Order: sequence, then C-alpha cells, then structure tokens
Amino acid sequence: MDNTMNQEKKAPEKKAPETQREKLQRPGTRRLVQLYAALLYNANLKGFIDGHIYSGNLKSVCVPGFNCYSCPGAVASCPLGSLQNALTAAGHTAPWYVLGILTLFGVMLGRTICGWICPLGLIQELLHKIPTPKIRKSHITRKLSYLKYVFLAVFVIAIPLIYGIGKGMILPGFCKYICPAGTLEGAVGLLQNPANATSFYQLGEVFTRKWVIMLVIGLACVFCYRSFCRFICPLGAIYGFFNRFALAGVKVNPDRCNSCGLCVMNCKMDIRHVGDRECISCGKCIDTCAQGAISLKCGKITLKGPETGKNADPEPVIQKRKKIGRIAWGIAIAVLVFAVCWFNLIEPAIENANEPAAAAVATEQAAGTEQATGAEQSAGTDQAANTDQATGTDQATDAEQSAGTDQAAGENQAANTDQATGENQAANTDQAADETGSSEPKTGPEAKESGTPAAAANLPVGSEIGNLLPDFSTDLLGEGDFKLSDHRGQVVILNFWGTTCAPCIAELPDFEKLKVAYPDVEILAIHARAGAKKAKAFLEDKGWDHLDFATDSKEKGIMKLLNVSEALPSTIVLNPQGVVTYHAQAPLSYEKLEALFKAALADN
Amino acid sequence: MGVTCLTRKETFLIVQSLLCALVTGLLTVSALCLYFDGAAKQAEGDLFYYMYTRERVGARLLPILPLLFCSFGMTVAGLILGIRDDQADKPVRDEKLLRNQGMIREKAVHQVATQSELYLRVAVIALAVFLIVAGILNGGLEDVLAKGATICTECVGLG
Ligand code: SF4
Ligand code: SF4
Repeated sequence: MDNTMNQEKKAPEKKAPETQREKLQRPGTRRLVQLYAALLYNANLKGFIDGHIYSGNLKSVCVPGFNCYSCPGAVASCPLGSLQNALTAAGHTAPWYVLGILTLFGVMLGRTICGWICPLGLIQELLHKIPTPKIRKSHITRKLSYLKYVFLAVFVIAIPLIYGIGKGMILPGFCKYICPAGTLEGAVGLLQNPANATSFYQLGEVFTRKWVIMLVIGLACVFCYRSFCRFICPLGAIYGFFNRFALAGVKVNPDRCNSCGLCVMNCKMDIRHVGDRECISCGKCIDTCAQGAISLKCGKITLKGPETGKNADPEPVIQKRKKIGRIAWGIAIAVLVFAVCWFNLIEPAIENANEPAAAAVATEQAAGTEQATGAEQSAGTDQAANTDQATGTDQATDAEQSAGTDQAAGENQAANTDQATGENQAANTDQAADETGSSEPKTGPEAKESGTPAAAANLPVGSEIGNLLPDFSTDLLGEGDFKLSDHRGQVVILNFWGTTCAPCIAELPDFEKLKVAYPDVEILAIHARAGAKKAKAFLEDKGWDHLDFATDSKEKGIMKLLNVSEALPSTIVLNPQGVVTYHAQAPLSYEKLEALFKAALADN
Repeated sequence: MGVTCLTRKETFLIVQSLLCALVTGLLTVSALCLYFDGAAKQAEGDLFYYMYTRERVGARLLPILPLLFCSFGMTVAGLILGIRDDQADKPVRDEKLLRNQGMIREKAVHQVATQSELYLRVAVIALAVFLIVAGILNGGLEDVLAKGATICTECVGLG
C-alpha cells in the first residue's frame, strides 16, 4: 500500500518537485483507494445496465462510507439510511444492529473513512478540482462545521424517532429532505436507464427539492473544499466522536512536535489540531510537518510516515512498508475482481439455475399464444360468465356516474354495484367504454385498447401496458389462495409494497377505501420478498380487512415473474380480460386509483 | 488609485466559476419549470399529467449541454495547463488570528493514545460486537436487508 502511497510526494532532496502535469498523470494513493472503495461498494455493475438494484443478502451489511443503497451498483447498505430506518422502527425493534455497526466502524477507522473510503468524499474532491477561485477556511467555516451536529440531531435522530414512535410513520428525515447521495446515486442512477422510464412519472415535489439541494451542494463543493463533509454530513459527525481513540488515523509524536502549527495552517479541514473530530486523516500534513512528528497509523502499524527531513523514517523501514503495500494492493485487487465476478456473473448464474416455479409457468405461457388461446377456448363458458359479469360492472360504473361521481364513495356506490350485478342488462360494452373513456383521465401515456377476450388471448404475455399478465398463484396471508386467472372478469389491482416503505403504507388505506367503494374490484397487496416475515405482524392492527395480502419469496418469485421493479410502491392494474392497463412505480391517491379502476373497467 | 488588470489566469478562473454557476442555475430553473408547469396542469384536474418524462427532461437538458461541455472542457484544459487558484494551497498564515479563533491548540500532542484511551477502545469494540449480536438476534439485520433490497422511492427522492 505504501508503494503508491509514498509516491504521492517524493523526497524533495532526492528529486525535483513534481510539476502540475506530472501530478495530473499519476493519482496519489489516497485517490486510488477512494476509487477502489467506490468501485467495491458498487461492484454490481450490471445494475447500471439493466436498471435493477442488487437485492441479495449482502444488503443486510452496511458499508462504512456514504453510498446510497438504491444506487444500481450498490452491493451493501448505506449506514446512515439504515440508522434512520432503524430509528423509525425503534418502537418495536431496538436499533442495536445499526448502532453496533456504526460503533465498530467508528472505533476502528474514525473519520479515516471520510478521507479514504467514502465515495461522496471522492466526488466532492473531484468537484473541487474544477479550476475556480477557492474559498479558504476561516472562523466562519469553523463555526459552520458545527452545523452537521444539528443535521444529525434533527434529521437523522429526532425526525425518524418522533414520527416512527410517536405517529407510527416512516420518515427518514435526512434521506427524504437532504441526502445528495440519494439523489445522485439513487434517483439519477436509476432514471438514466431507459428500463426505468416509468420512474419519471412519479417525480414531483420531493425530487425537485432534492435535485435543487444536490445542485447547490455540488456548486458549494466546487468553491469550498468538501463543503458537504464539513458542514452537513451527519455520518462524518458520528465518526468524528470516535476520532480521538480510533484504531486507525493520523497520530502525532509528542516528542517531535514543536507546536509550530504548520499542520493546522496547511490543513483544509476546520481542525483545531491534528486528529481531532474534523480531521479526516487524509495524511497531507505528514508531508507538511518539518519535524516528522505525524504519521498515519493503524494500531501500532505505520501506514504512512515521514520520509523526508531530519526525523524521516530509516530507508529499510520505508522499503518494508513499500513491500507490504504492494502485497496489500495485490490482495485488494484480487478481492475487487472476485467481487465484480461474483455480483455480475456468478450470483446471477446461480439465481437463474434456481429459477422459481412461477417463472417457469410464465415461460410456458409466453411460449405461444396458441396455448393461451387454447386455454381461453377451454374456459369458454367461464369467459362468457365473466363477460356478463364485466358488462354488469360497466353498467354499475355508468349508473354510478349518472348519479354523480362526486358522491362520497360509500353506500351509494355499493348500492349501484348491487343494482348492476342484479340486472344483467345486455349492454353494448364498446359504447360503455367510449362513454366512460371520454370522461376518464388516461391511465398512462402508452395506454392501449385491449379489445375483446379473444383479442386479449392473442396479446403477448408480459407486464407492460397492453400485455396479458402472466398467471400466478400464491397463498394469502389471511386464509386461502389467490390465482390470477380465477379473477378474469374482474378488474384486478396488484400492489407491491413493503413495511419499510413510507409511501406504500401511506397509500394502502386508499386501496382499502377503493375496495369498500367498489367491492367488485380484486385488490391483492403483495409484500416484497425482503422483510416479508414481518408483514403479517405489521398488518395486525391496521384494519385493512377488505384487501387481500400475500408475500413474495425467492421460491415464489412473483415480482420477478411480473417484472416488477424493486422501486416501491409499484402497482399493476388489469382489465377484466387480464390485460395490463397500468404498470408504474408511483404512489397513488384515491382519485388516481378510482380513475385507473374505471378506465380498466371501460377497457373491456 | 491604480486599476488592477486581471491576468489571463484570473480571467480563466472567473469565467469558469461563472460557467459553473450558470450551469447550476439553468439546471435548477429547468427542474423548477417542469415542476411548476406540471403542478399547474395537475391543478387543472389532469390527474395523470406527469411533471417529468424522459422526453420533457431531455428537451430541457439539451440547451444546457453545450455549456456543460464547455465547462468540462475548461476544467480539463485548466488541469492540464496547471491553472488553479494559487491561494487555495497556501497555509492560513495568520497564526495569531488562528490562535485567537481557537484553530490551533498550544500543542498538537495529545494524539498519542494514552493507556486509558486504549482501554476505552477495547471497551467500545466489545460494546459494538455485543450490539451487533443483539441486533442480529432481534431482527435488526433483516430490517436493514428489507430496506436495502427494495428502492424506497421517497428516500432517494423519486417520489
Ligand atoms: S438516500 Fe442517502 S441516507 Fe438514504 S439511503 Fe440513500 S444514501 Fe443513505
Ligand atoms: S490534520 Fe492532517 S490528516 Fe487531518 S485532515 Fe488535516 S491534513 Fe488531513
């Protein structure tokens, strides 16, 4: 490691000082380590190509630095996001795990993490390379450095705790209102991929606000060294508490230090002395100190020491460090190569080999539309019955509409549905669709007409709008089973949610309200595979009794089968023929849900 | 009263800062325009009007791209030619001021770990390990996985 580390600044006695051009051609060791860490944290490179995040078991581990877990490349979780999430859940699960991880990282590495292995630190330093006039540290920046403790106390601790315990709401304050890593790596990282085009539909106030905040922070970093790190970063604030006694970090030899203050004057961070809570152990002061008093250590091992001046380390020691450095780099590169191969080639191959049963059904179903047509023909009588039923429901919609859509969704609508189901009128469904269609909002830019059952059977099997959704079945969390094809003739709404997803939980009461207002609609809320074990307990006191709930699992592979993104909440709406009329990752209000339901009904 | 002429280097740095500020400003204004346009459309009753779509974002970004490339080109040129703010790397020399502002302690010596700090370190490591084990047992590990394995759209700023 020291090999490259020592190249960062060669002994002035031995060589002429490097020119700017020379420096540009060869990045220093710290820069290489920063790049290495960023790549290792984001070893799931295929995520950038297919637009999906990594959702394997390693996500239960946090990385030490700031790296959004929604970044398509991220292979592990963000410690700060996890801390906020754990605090929101503190009412029922004590946040020991995340606190333990943060404590361990802090006591082992302190703010060396900020200086060496935080990807956001790297981004800030690269932005600061843009040649502009720079703002230097002063007593003002020193005072501003206390701001990060306010961010830590308010956004990371108080807001999640107050909302989580007090109101039962998930509100990761820092993630939602500030975090530029979430915007850059998570939001922009996902949106840049054409596969996530529908993610644009949910962008609104939250995105606009965070986008502007990210730009302002980015601009600040151009002019002022590590602005985010110094003034805002709550993770740096946490690690700063451990800096004084952390195992790794810069240490000063008291016998050599003559209090000249050169180290403090040359440091770009708002330190009072080397190694305090603001010091990121970048090691630049090692070269500044004429006394050779400063070194970067891990316990008793010196990672970088003084190599020039009167107290320079002896040549054999330097050579030994270089040798160890070379070995360390060799191991590190081998680990990186293994990680890249594992996340991009080996693990996906293992997963494909263990393809879930549901996916096999889909492949079969997609294998030919003849099969689908055959199924449709053999289910002829059922279909006829379903069509009748669907017609009835259309009538219900019409009747309800003539009674006024602004009527409260309660008894009137239920009565209308009863009436329509009772009177099996031979209505012209096309006409009904036209009438309803003209007054309904579109369900999506690409919404298509799916036509009659026979036409639906000829549609391609898939999960995009206009496709026939693959059939699947699952056990329900309450009682019984759900089989999609059993619900032909009904509008089916599939909602994908998670107990840790705030917008999901906020919208579920609207699904319940829709089901009460329109009992004919089938709504199945499927909990994403991760954390599914806790879904049942979570639902116990919620009172969403009209909805069907199920959980996904690796074996079932429902989300994979239906090509549902990991972005929650996601919703798929099917018309009575089982054709997709809406599929997007976005929270839905009651008004939108009702409009989607009616449009699906009309698209019969 | 002498008039100070800007050197070529200073002019370069100032132009580059203006360019950075301009690009940031334009990116901000583009997002705000898309947002307010969309909000107005939604207020008119168009429930499914999407504020942002790939096409709309693309149309807004396109005019900014030349400026972005220009700024990037100037950055590369500046780095190659070694143009930078020389003041940035100079030490903050006013030692007295620094001392008054509390930026320097009398001696930067207490960084060598004392015996008690070593004990503290060991105790904190033991505590951390205990917390992690307790957390694994109480399901905290699964919670982290549940959050990390799905995309919380609200958290990353998607919606
Ligand atoms: S949005 Fe920020 S804090 Fe939240 S998970 Fe992502 S990086 Fe971590
Ligand atoms: S004190 Fe030294 S190691 Fe710490 S941030 Fe400043 S220059 Fe880097």
